[in-house]
Amino acid sequence: MRSIFLIIILFLTTASLYSQVQLTGKVTDTHSNPLPGANVFLQNSYDGATTDSLGNFTFKTSLNGIQNLSASFIGYKPFSQKVDLDNSKTISVNIQLQESEDQLDEVVVNAGTFEASDEKKAVVLRVFDIATTPSAQGDIFGAFGTLPGVQKVGEDGRVFVRGGEGYETKTFMDGMLVASPYTSKMPDMPSRGRFSPLLFSGTLFSTGAYSAEYGQALSSIVDMKTNSIETEEKSSISLMTVGLMGSTTQCRKNSSLSLSGDLLSSALSNKINKQQVDWTKAPLTADATVMFRQKIRQTGLYKLFGTFNTSSSDMNYLNIQNKVNQALALENSTIYLNNTYNSTLSEKWMLKSGLAWNYDHQNLKMDNDRIITNQKMVQAKIGFSYFINTQTELKFGSDWVNFSYDQKIDMNGNYRLPFTNNELSGFAEVEYKPSKKIATRIGFRAENSSLLSRTTLVPRFSGAYKTGKHSQISLAGGEFYQNPENDYLKFAPQLKPEKASHAVMTWQYQNEQQTFRVEGYLKKYTNLVKYTAPLATNPLDYSNTGSGKARGIDVFWRDKQSLKNTDYWISYSWIDAKRNYKDYSEMAIPTFVSEHNLSLVFKRFIPSLSTYASVTYSFASSRPYHDPNFSGFMNAHTKAYNDISLSLTYMLNFFEKQAALHLMLNNLAGFDNIYGYNFATTPNAEGKYESSPIRSPFVRQAILLLNIML
Amino acid sequence: MKKSVFILVLLLLSGITFANEAYQNAMKQAIDKLFHSQTIQEYVDVANQFERISTIEKKEWLPLYYASFSYIMISFKGTDNAKKDQYLDQAQKYLDQAMAIEPNESELFMLQGFLYPSRINIDPINRGMALMGKMNAALDKALELNPDNPRVYYLRATMTANMPEAFGGGAAKALPLYQKAAEKFELFKPKSEIHPNWGKELNTNDLQKIQK
Repeated sequence: MRSIFLIIILFLTTASLYSQVQLTGKVTDTHSNPLPGANVFLQNSYDGATTDSLGNFTFKTSLNGIQNLSASFIGYKPFSQKVDLDNSKTISVNIQLQESEDQLDEVVVNAGTFEASDEKKAVVLRVFDIATTPSAQGDIFGAFGTLPGVQKVGEDGRVFVRGGEGYETKTFMDGMLVASPYTSKMPDMPSRGRFSPLLFSGTLFSTGAYSAEYGQALSSIVDMKTNSIETEEKSSISLMTVGLMGSTTQCRKNSSLSLSGDLLSSALSNKINKQQVDWTKAPLTADATVMFRQKIRQTGLYKLFGTFNTSSSDMNYLNIQNKVNQALALENSTIYLNNTYNSTLSEKWMLKSGLAWNYDHQNLKMDNDRIITNQKMVQAKIGFSYFINTQTELKFGSDWVNFSYDQKIDMNGNYRLPFTNNELSGFAEVEYKPSKKIATRIGFRAENSSLLSRTTLVPRFSGAYKTGKHSQISLAGGEFYQNPENDYLKFAPQLKPEKASHAVMTWQYQNEQQTFRVEGYLKKYTNLVKYTAPLATNPLDYSNTGSGKARGIDVFWRDKQSLKNTDYWISYSWIDAKRNYKDYSEMAIPTFVSEHNLSLVFKRFIPSLSTYASVTYSFASSRPYHDPNFSGFMNAHTKAYNDISLSLTYMLNFFEKQAALHLMLNNLAGFDNIYGYNFATTPNAEGKYESSPIRSPFVRQAILLLNIML
Repeated sequence: MKKSVFILVLLLLSGITFANEAYQNAMKQAIDKLFHSQTIQEYVDVANQFERISTIEKKEWLPLYYASFSYIMISFKGTDNAKKDQYLDQAQKYLDQAMAIEPNESELFMLQGFLYPSRINIDPINRGMALMGKMNAALDKALELNPDNPRVYYLRATMTANMPEAFGGGAAKALPLYQKAAEKFELFKPKSEIHPNWGKELNTNDLQKIQK
């Protein structure tokens, strides 16, 4: 018994020793080019080989029977095939590997869109780019100023896109509306974004023809994606010439909590940087932000973002009419809460939902007059994605915004201007990708406003076709409605929504290191608000008879590879825009439009100094303005705008802590940029309308910041 | 009958030890090859070997650790940035798989801390700040799991040596770190012949260079 057993064992082992099989062959790609370095092996054994420089492999195995022969290679799909090792001593197999679908190779619907993301590959910007663009001064919206399609409007600070006004750009956070994304502004002073760019892991900036998911924006949308669950505990403090900042992040297994706050005062900075404004109390700001993230079951993520912001400033403002200084005092407080819950419901269904609340209080004193404005917003949104098959995705959802506005004016008597609007919207959109080369998206959006008693229905479409491995051509268009600005609605709630139509065509080339994009567009505006005089109080002084048009070409080039340790991008926009709105007497180029806009952003890392250096040069050709001393409308032009800004970041050790020292210098060359002129409404004794130029609050500006990781 | 059962059990057991021995031998042979590799081709070849071992030894983190290590070495040898990123993607993939098998292994966090600087070097402008923090977090975690891991000390010393003096780096600052690493290497005993045991020579060389 025992011996028989042993013999069998012996026989089996020797048999296997003597039945070695040799496998040979060649690994190629689909164009028959050899792939050297590919791994070819038999599953369930260590037996295998790496292909040589001609793609050939050869190895021996003692396995027998039917086995799986596998091959793998970076950038290619894994391959497997059955081989029968019993029939012959040598087996020859030629293997063809298919390229894996790189994100860069796939067509994406992106006409009109600039996306900054740290998660996706095929994007133009990283979040870090936004935080370190010198001319942006750390402001998200400022960084968009270096992208094509955006006008330089130095006295405003908002994002003016393709012949559209600042209010035509709407800001969202994780898909939810942000009712007051900018700080309150004094006259002729630029406002800034309220949020630090470091809070976001991505930003979608669309300069036109965006998805039906977004509404109530005539020109542009910005959707900021907040950071997901943090996995690193960290704390830092920053000391700046403009104040103090601190933040801390705590992590649990399925949740994270981040707190940050800052106290900013321009008092010191205004002494260092000569001001062209007569501040009687330098701007003072306090912010507190909380971010909580909780993973719920396998696929659900709850995000809470809450922020409180309060600011104040006083200044003397020259009233050109009577040539006396007016004492202006501005106080502003904002609370914004944003809750979202996103989850995968099943293999085919995804849920996106959110609840947002915003409260904004502004108190403006002008000598003895006072204007108090309170704005409240509540938004509830729910949306679903349904994956009909691998090629088709259906998105639909609904959105309710309750907005109430209340302005109290104490100026030669007491006035109150309140209104409330309930905006109910719904959208549906289908994205269909019949192949890796073609993508189309068609959607509709319906909106109903209780205040305006109107319902609108608009189409949106977008399509893209891959013209090469790295290039694609895209087309997009649609119609867009937006309710008139609050400053008009408060007087004239009978107004209709303003309307815009966009058509965009884009060609883009993108590889890992370089992006080239050229985009042409046509825009038409109708139903724009016209009034007889600024601040007219009679509802009948307002009408929707205004109109406008814009066309232009935007060019963008970014290159990270040609120069060592250097990354640069160039944006150029040409625009031809005209409007007849507000109190314009005829169709004319509006004051915020410059025909040519150019930005150069140049970033270089100097390893030997552990230093990042960034330089931006911005140019905008002259802007028109109306000089009542001469005949005709919009009869004068400002000088061209020029700016050179620099930022330097040194990495250093500060008492054994990791730290970074930032120096930001704006308008190095000290260009005297004039954005326009304020004119007196009546002529003086000599019959001349007096004027004063609108300038930046500073000529040059230097800000120093030391950030220490604790 | 009893006897035959006994023999069967014995045979089975020897089969198991045989398999384990095969694993040990395959690993030893591949590790030896890894530390004698010079060219991209040689590294790819040995990385492939580790990959093959890992597809069978699904509960072992070591083959994946060495596969990942090989790809980090390949990225050092590469010239094209896009390619380098691809190699590091591959290294990260193996490392993630290894982490899933052994989530609390100091050597894996050390390797993660070794991978980030390679990523930073490809695009320091855009990656430096974000990844520097992640690298430090990974090295901190590696030390927390094993305060005597000499490779963590070595990596910290190298990072310091490569940083300019003005920013807390430089040879003078790095010297005590290299010496500390040398102490740790002296005391270090790998868990087995196939566990990570590299870096001592590199540390000695760097230390000598600095002392000159």
